Amino acid sequence: MSQLVLSDLRKSFGDLEIIKGVNLDVSEGEFVVFVGPSGCGKSTLLRMIAGLEDVSGGEIVIGGKQVKDLPPVKRGIAMVFQSYALYPHMSVFENIAFPLRVEGLSEDKIKERVGAAAKVLQLESRLQQRPGTLSGGQRQRVAIGRAIVRQPKIFLFDEPLSNLDAALRTEMRVELMSLHQKLGSTMVYVTHDQVEAMTMADKIVVLNAGTIEQIGSPLELYHKPDNIFVAGFIGSPKMNFLSGTVTASDRGNVVVDLGKVGTIKLPRGGHPDLVGKTVTVGMRPEHLALGEDKFSFEVTPGIVERLGIHTLAYCTLADGKNFVALFEGDPEINQGVSFTVGIDPAKCQLFDSDGIAVHKESQSGMHSS
Amino acid sequence: MKNSKPMIDRYTWYETIGIYAGIAVLMFFVLAPFIEGFLVSLKPLALLFSSPYSFWPENGSFTAYFTLWDRVPMMGWYIFNSLLLAFVITVVVMCLVVPAAYAFARFEFPGRGALLGAFLAVNMFSGAVLLIPLYRLMRSLGVLNTYFAMIVPGVAFLIPTAIWLLRAYMMRIPRELDEAAWVDGASRLYTLRRVILPIAMPGIMVAAIATFIGAYAQQFIFALTFNSKTEYMPIGVGLFAFFGRQEVIWNELMAACFIGITPALLIIVFLQRYLVAGLTAGAVKQ
Repeated sequence: MSQLVLSDLRKSFGDLEIIKGVNLDVSEGEFVVFVGPSGCGKSTLLRMIAGLEDVSGGEIVIGGKQVKDLPPVKRGIAMVFQSYALYPHMSVFENIAFPLRVEGLSEDKIKERVGAAAKVLQLESRLQQRPGTLSGGQRQRVAIGRAIVRQPKIFLFDEPLSNLDAALRTEMRVELMSLHQKLGSTMVYVTHDQVEAMTMADKIVVLNAGTIEQIGSPLELYHKPDNIFVAGFIGSPKMNFLSGTVTASDRGNVVVDLGKVGTIKLPRGGHPDLVGKTVTVGMRPEHLALGEDKFSFEVTPGIVERLGIHTLAYCTLADGKNFVALFEGDPEINQGVSFTVGIDPAKCQLFDSDGIAVHKESQSGMHSS
Repeated sequence: MKNSKPMIDRYTWYETIGIYAGIAVLMFFVLAPFIEGFLVSLKPLALLFSSPYSFWPENGSFTAYFTLWDRVPMMGWYIFNSLLLAFVITVVVMCLVVPAAYAFARFEFPGRGALLGAFLAVNMFSGAVLLIPLYRLMRSLGVLNTYFAMIVPGVAFLIPTAIWLLRAYMMRIPRELDEAAWVDGASRLYTLRRVILPIAMPGIMVAAIATFIGAYAQQFIFALTFNSKTEYMPIGVGLFAFFGRQEVIWNELMAACFIGITPALLIIVFLQRYLVAGLTAGAVKQ
């Protein structure tokens, strides 16, 4: 059963439309991540679901109930803020108990529920401390505790890890995921960090300039991006884009002339109309290998970053364009010394002149992978 | 020699002398009237008119501090009135200003800027400019010669500064705290009471001290104009009792000044303990 439904949701500030008609369906227990560059409207969208921003148009339905005009507390949501928003003058216990006190629960009930939340979050020994004496990760847990005690249908997280340092962020990421497993509740999570999105989400919603670019599982987005924006946004380092012209296109193959780099034959169900059009071929840095493959070309490395587990080479192509390649281990490559890299064309992406992906099975009905 | 101070706080001996000399000059400039006032209060009256004038009170004593009570038996009342007026004004101002400052800090409403500007403009008029209209107003209301006549204008003229002070402080309290409370189901008033007020306490104390001092200082002009009853007089006006037909009893006047200031001073010192900085630590990550 879908627990959260957004239909044609819109938000404008004056003449400026920030959210331009968002449709989304979230099922119970799903971990949904909104991801996108800063200013894409992901936080606004979350705040609209929370009830902190008014809705200019469209509907929000939570658990079958229209909630657009309800205050946050009646929507069955709880929110964790980017800055934690802890009450500095209250102890950890009182911070977590705050929503229960507002609700007017009995002292025993409050103790019981706060105790349960503290146990889940390993905050039992900190209950009498003030937030100011806690570390970043502990503060984050208190903020989550305050959300848990209300037993909401949906948890909303607004970039909750962005204030933590890298090591702690990884740790909290794992903690949040196991919390999700333990509670089994629906979570909507906003981040600008695509690694967080990829690792945590059941479903990723990629937003750009107020519209949804694509919705899908992390691997769907990685392997089958719908357009250039998603292809470029998901994956690190970024996908390489090479522009070229289609010289032949039929049910089985699309041949693209990439200029000095060469001519690549992609296994795609291309429409004959594509011939003569300018297209973009996408190659993920990690799909390249040293030496010959079905498609090979020369690159000249500029900067080489050796990370032990893999090596990143920032190269230039024969036509002078930049190109990033990622190899496992630390192969023998040197700055300024050209070498040959190869890629399996089946792993490449193809985008038409509008930046829309040409999928293998699209238009032709072929289902080979 | 081992110096425990960090490099940025270390000075050579001549720099240290220079710094303290500077402080001494400034302090003397500020405190000179008080020092002279205190010395005068110690001198016998005859010495005050001696020529050449001697600043140092030879055979000085605290006699004036005891004799003044006989000369002006109402002195205790004046001090009490001053404190009462300042206290009531402060309480009333704070009751009005706290919700107002919260509203100005948090809510967008039409005319917010204009209202704030208007409050500032009110501050630019000194009370003296408005004395005559105020007097007429008080007279038609029939409240002349009451505490009320001194409290109301006092409150009115102190509200703008307090609002500006407290609004600035409240604007520094992260908005997320309001939002978090709102998401958790708290009403605006509940949020104000349980979240904003405790965090804003240092700011409220600053505003309260400023108001108290203001109320103490400005009551003179309102008391002089709107009140002619001796028993309601605050100390500022009460001191005129030392101005006789023939002579002014300077030493007792000064002694009365110092006695009059003392309670207010004690209250301010007491309030200052609540000016705890850094209370917002840990609310949000900046």
